[in-house]
Amino acid sequence: MIIQSSLKNCFQLSHVLRIPTAGLKCAAKGGLILQSVSNDVYQNLAIEDWIHDNMNLENRQVLFLWRNSPVVVIGRHQNPWQECNLKVMRQNNIKLARRRSGGGTVYHDLGNINLTFFTSKKKYERMENLKLVVSALKALRPQLDVVATGRYDLLLNRDFKISGTAAKLGRTAAYHHCTLLCCADKLLLSSVLKSPYKGIKSNATPSVPALVKNLFEEDSTLSCEMLMGAISAEYATHHQIDHCIIPINPADEMQFPGINIKTKELQTWEWIYGKTPKFSISTCFNMIYKQSCLEVKVYMEVKYGKIEVCSIELPQQWLPPDLCDELKKNLIGSKFCPSEITAVTSALLRTGPQDYELHNKWNLLCEKVIMLM
Amino acid sequence: MATLALRRVGLSRLSLARPRSPGLSPPPPAWPAWPQARSLSAGALLLAARKFTDKHEWISVENGIGTVGISNFAQEALGDVVYCSLPEVGTKLNKQDEFGALESVKAASELYSPLTGEVTEVNTALADNPGLVNKSCYEDGWLMKMTVDNPSELDELMSEDAYEKYVKSIEE
Repeated sequence: MIIQSSLKNCFQLSHVLRIPTAGLKCAAKGGLILQSVSNDVYQNLAIEDWIHDNMNLENRQVLFLWRNSPVVVIGRHQNPWQECNLKVMRQNNIKLARRRSGGGTVYHDLGNINLTFFTSKKKYERMENLKLVVSALKALRPQLDVVATGRYDLLLNRDFKISGTAAKLGRTAAYHHCTLLCCADKLLLSSVLKSPYKGIKSNATPSVPALVKNLFEEDSTLSCEMLMGAISAEYATHHQIDHCIIPINPADEMQFPGINIKTKELQTWEWIYGKTPKFSISTCFNMIYKQSCLEVKVYMEVKYGKIEVCSIELPQQWLPPDLCDELKKNLIGSKFCPSEITAVTSALLRTGPQDYELHNKWNLLCEKVIMLM
Repeated sequence: MATLALRRVGLSRLSLARPRSPGLSPPPPAWPAWPQARSLSAGALLLAARKFTDKHEWISVENGIGTVGISNFAQEALGDVVYCSLPEVGTKLNKQDEFGALESVKAASELYSPLTGEVTEVNTALADNPGLVNKSCYEDGWLMKMTVDNPSELDELMSEDAYEKYVKSIEE
């Protein structure tokens, strides 16, 4: 939702953004406030990349406001299996995205606002941006007790996190983005940010869990639109520019040449899962077959999202060793991903043992292995 | 590399925290005599070869192979490094290509190759101990080794003295 009142007297974006330099002559300096008309996380992250890569931020600062449909966003060097519940996400149609900035995992929905502060690397100053957000909140509701912490979080009433931060520093440009919880689905948030996977060992950046609260819970008259209005007004004052928010469409290839390629890249399995730092998973599970329970131990090493090492330990004689080896052999080199492993195992099952009992046993084992992902 | 948080690192602190270059400043008196003498000569050799980029990477070349790391100024500005994303051995890089990223305090900072060449080794110790970049940015905290395909590119980099002047200039 674009704040209509702020759109008055805005100059056309095309004058500002067109690359390489032709259009930048008009208002190439000072502050600029943009707001995405899209709620697609991949498009919005792509806009961040586009601005970072293409806009000359030497003498200009940009505030970008955006909101997303339900999605879990992990940091650049994180492990999604360690950070979130992929099964619950699949069931609830919640997407997963990996951003290019560092930091931990966050949940977004339309009750959460995202703010990106673009500057030159020289002017990158996260605390200043957070102070601006705090001032905006105070201007809106002076009684709010909001402070920025040394970890660049914003806390409400000392204990509750309402905003998390991450940043990316490039060659000459940098951006700092943060979330701001207004009225997000907290129940869903806590259920998707809990990993059910056990036995993962990795050097990936871990998230630091925190108690969270929506600003709406503190003051039910607050809305996302009001918060965005207050923050952009504060930004305009700070940068001595008109309070005008320019709506942008991240699907507009004319305005943002190359944007669709960036969006597609962020949607690929290779980026979202494949960029996971190398990890191992060592776990065991029980299988119930014909009223008896047996324990299965599994060890896998996963690099670039693909299984590199795989061992499956079963009680002796339960399955002929060559069948188990066949499964292991086929898992190695496959993506650590339920749809791919389902395809691999169903192909195996088609050509595998025709013996009814063996087939059932094998099928059960394959299903259980897929459950690990 | 990062030119961030310059305000945090005051001039005085910077000069104090500059790595003890055994060739230039006296080593701490508590060190035993023999290892001190050894590290002095090795350090002086490395120091002589170290060249810097304006993105705060350093490279020192020995027998045609360059060792790359980030400067003390950069590691201070970054804060505690928690993850090092490094290239695969065999990756071909052009001068100024992005070759990885360092994560610290929720920020991912891109790394840029100082020269054109091929990655021959990465510092695997950083996987378990990324803090080495902070603790020992010129020795144990090196990032990667690479071939030097265009030796003339070395001439375009800054000497230690020039780099120090550069750091002072960006602080002002």
